[in-house]
Amino acid sequence: MSIKTALFATSALLLATSATAYADIPVGHLADQSGATSDVGVPYAQGVADALAYINSKGGINGTKLAVDTVDYGYQAPRAISQYKKWSSGSDKIAALQGWGTADTEALTGFVGKDEIPAYSGSYSGHLTDPTGKGPHGSKPAPYNFFYGPSYSDALRGMLMWAAEDWKKQGGQGKPKYVHMGANHPYPNAPKDAGEQLAKELGFEVLPAVQFALTPGDYTAQCLTLKQSGVNYAYLGNTAGSNISVLKACQTVGAKVQFMGNVWGMDENAAKAAGAAADGVVFPMRTAVTWNGDAPGMKTLKDISKMSDAAGTAYRPVHYMAGVCTAFIMKEAMDWASKNGGVTGPNIRKAMYQKKDWVPAGLEGVCVPSTWTENDHRGMTAVNIYRAKVGGDTGAGVDELVKAGTIKLEKLTTVDVPRKPEWLGW
Amino acid sequence: MANISIIPSGDFKTSYGTDTTIFPTKTSRNFAILGVVLLLACPAFMDRYWLSLLIQIGYLGIAALGLNILVGFTGQISIGHSAFFGFGAFASAWLNNSVGVPVALAIPLAGVVTTLVGLLFGMPAARLKGLYLAIATLAAQYILQDFFARADWFTGGTAGTIAEPLTLFGFAFDTDESYFYVVLVAMVVMYLLATNLMRTRDGRALVAVRDHYLSAEIMGINLTKYRTMSFGISAFYAGIGGALYAHYLQFVSVEGFTILFSIQFLGMIIIGGLGSIMGTLMGTAFMVFLPEAMQALTKLVSGTAIDTALNLKDNIAFLREMSIGLVIILFLVFEPDGLAHRWKQIKAYWKLYPFSH
Repeated sequence: MSIKTALFATSALLLATSATAYADIPVGHLADQSGATSDVGVPYAQGVADALAYINSKGGINGTKLAVDTVDYGYQAPRAISQYKKWSSGSDKIAALQGWGTADTEALTGFVGKDEIPAYSGSYSGHLTDPTGKGPHGSKPAPYNFFYGPSYSDALRGMLMWAAEDWKKQGGQGKPKYVHMGANHPYPNAPKDAGEQLAKELGFEVLPAVQFALTPGDYTAQCLTLKQSGVNYAYLGNTAGSNISVLKACQTVGAKVQFMGNVWGMDENAAKAAGAAADGVVFPMRTAVTWNGDAPGMKTLKDISKMSDAAGTAYRPVHYMAGVCTAFIMKEAMDWASKNGGVTGPNIRKAMYQKKDWVPAGLEGVCVPSTWTENDHRGMTAVNIYRAKVGGDTGAGVDELVKAGTIKLEKLTTVDVPRKPEWLGW
Repeated sequence: MANISIIPSGDFKTSYGTDTTIFPTKTSRNFAILGVVLLLACPAFMDRYWLSLLIQIGYLGIAALGLNILVGFTGQISIGHSAFFGFGAFASAWLNNSVGVPVALAIPLAGVVTTLVGLLFGMPAARLKGLYLAIATLAAQYILQDFFARADWFTGGTAGTIAEPLTLFGFAFDTDESYFYVVLVAMVVMYLLATNLMRTRDGRALVAVRDHYLSAEIMGINLTKYRTMSFGISAFYAGIGGALYAHYLQFVSVEGFTILFSIQFLGMIIIGGLGSIMGTLMGTAFMVFLPEAMQALTKLVSGTAIDTALNLKDNIAFLREMSIGLVIILFLVFEPDGLAHRWKQIKAYWKLYPFSH
């Protein structure tokens, strides 16, 4: 009977917790803290959560606090959608959504458009960049979708442009071979066609895509395929965790491939975990500096970090910083909306179009200037390409490794991807 | 002794007809009707959060009942039920999006299509027993899951597909308040169907197959026919449940229909009570409320002394998953016969009070 009592007690608690009323600005925050992409989902969500807590500690949006509800949806689109349905109606309808994955964000596109709730996703799928739905590749209208960073497609285009140059610089003979790698899932698939198309145009020989799951595993077979076909450049479409497995396996079988990760494909933690296998991996970065970088905005970032790390000693990976930038973009849009008719979805959306080369106040030198327009949600087309350098044993903590220079993320170049109209929404 | 249903004195049965009514007494029937009437009033005073949980109990309960017909009443085993649930969801969305069948018709049609798929997988399965059958249904789970991921024309591939809301005569059932009634009506109909099925010749044949297949065969029951039929009925229920889910969420993705979900269905009927119609609903309610209760508990714990003492931080999310597992295990240890059995005992206790036997 004691179990029953416990059950009754929990349901009573449920009643108590579900009956809280909001007098603030409700914000929904979907995070992946336990699912397939939690390796990068956790630091990103922490960045968003810390930034929003910091904003509240400074008085919120012109004196009104944000009521943030963070929910872990385990990277399962159906769970995200049922959560969104709870958030999107009734008296405490959320004013904005901090989202995460590609599958769920793309599935929610129609819903957030209908409900007029701006969604700031952790997904940078090119399909989300077309607010009017006029893109030539059959993209659906996504008027309420925003993200901070270059789209997956643009980032890959930038890296391919770099790779074409790199091939010439290396003195490569003949056509370089390119292959797209990733899970059969909306997120790795998002830039696949765009990348393969441009690779062909740039003179790459495009080989059939190689699949590997979103979870870490034994990917020796995939690496042997790369080795046999003599691939020169491979795009890793997954997140850091499973990419590490590929990097290690390929190091073991001796596949000499220049790997290009996406924005979630590499970070300081992944470089530590992969060790020497991560050396030389190229990836796009969404902030102008890393945690130890020198920029005026870093002081704000250190203060934000203290929200969840009072000692102020934690080393925050690049995804954390991107989460902060995303949250602050939303915050400044809300600021503008509150002065121009109130913090409602349509006003926040309007606010997104007010600034050019927008860097949130206090984050100068950290967040990269972004511009959104009513017909184009490609906020950033400048792709900052970095290379992970790992020199030596990575047994120590990330903080020490970065301090000692064992792990370095060094900037190679910035590629300005042309804002072609035919690439909108693709 | 406390398990026999106790009839109040003066309530006589004078014909076979009255002895096989759905409800044993008038009171129990009136209570059931009262329950439905109370449910009808729910959207008036419940917030959306609770409504969404009730809707979940509705469509999951329908699908779980299908599994209980197969496992609890026929004695077969299936660990691929969520694949049929998913098939119903995709079929309904596809019938509506591509074929242009109105949603109100697409839902029952999806049930029929899923029945055919169920019969297809049921045919070889009907000749297997025990572990072999379990593996065969496991194959069904993976074959269908793979089909969902690859059949772009049918499911939208890995990206999933949008399902339009149900509209009748220009009225869209796209809020929880309105869709609640759709699910409620479907649930009452499906549960009555199942209850009546168990009172028919065919239903009793299913139970005979469960209780002793050899005796059943000697009595002239065609084992293969009834086992296959049971798979078909089970898939029909899963398909209807899945279709209702599709048009409630308005989005269907292959991610939702994993083996874990199939195990959850099994959990529902085991916790509720195998071979019990009412137990199915109880078990479903338990499985729907449990994660929510755990989520609330986890939220309470986060940021408290327990959280800091154990240094949980990011791992708090896993606390919920772990406690769900723990509660289910404890349940199976202390309540092996399910909630329906416990309910009967509680009723008997009060009937016989103060004499316990």
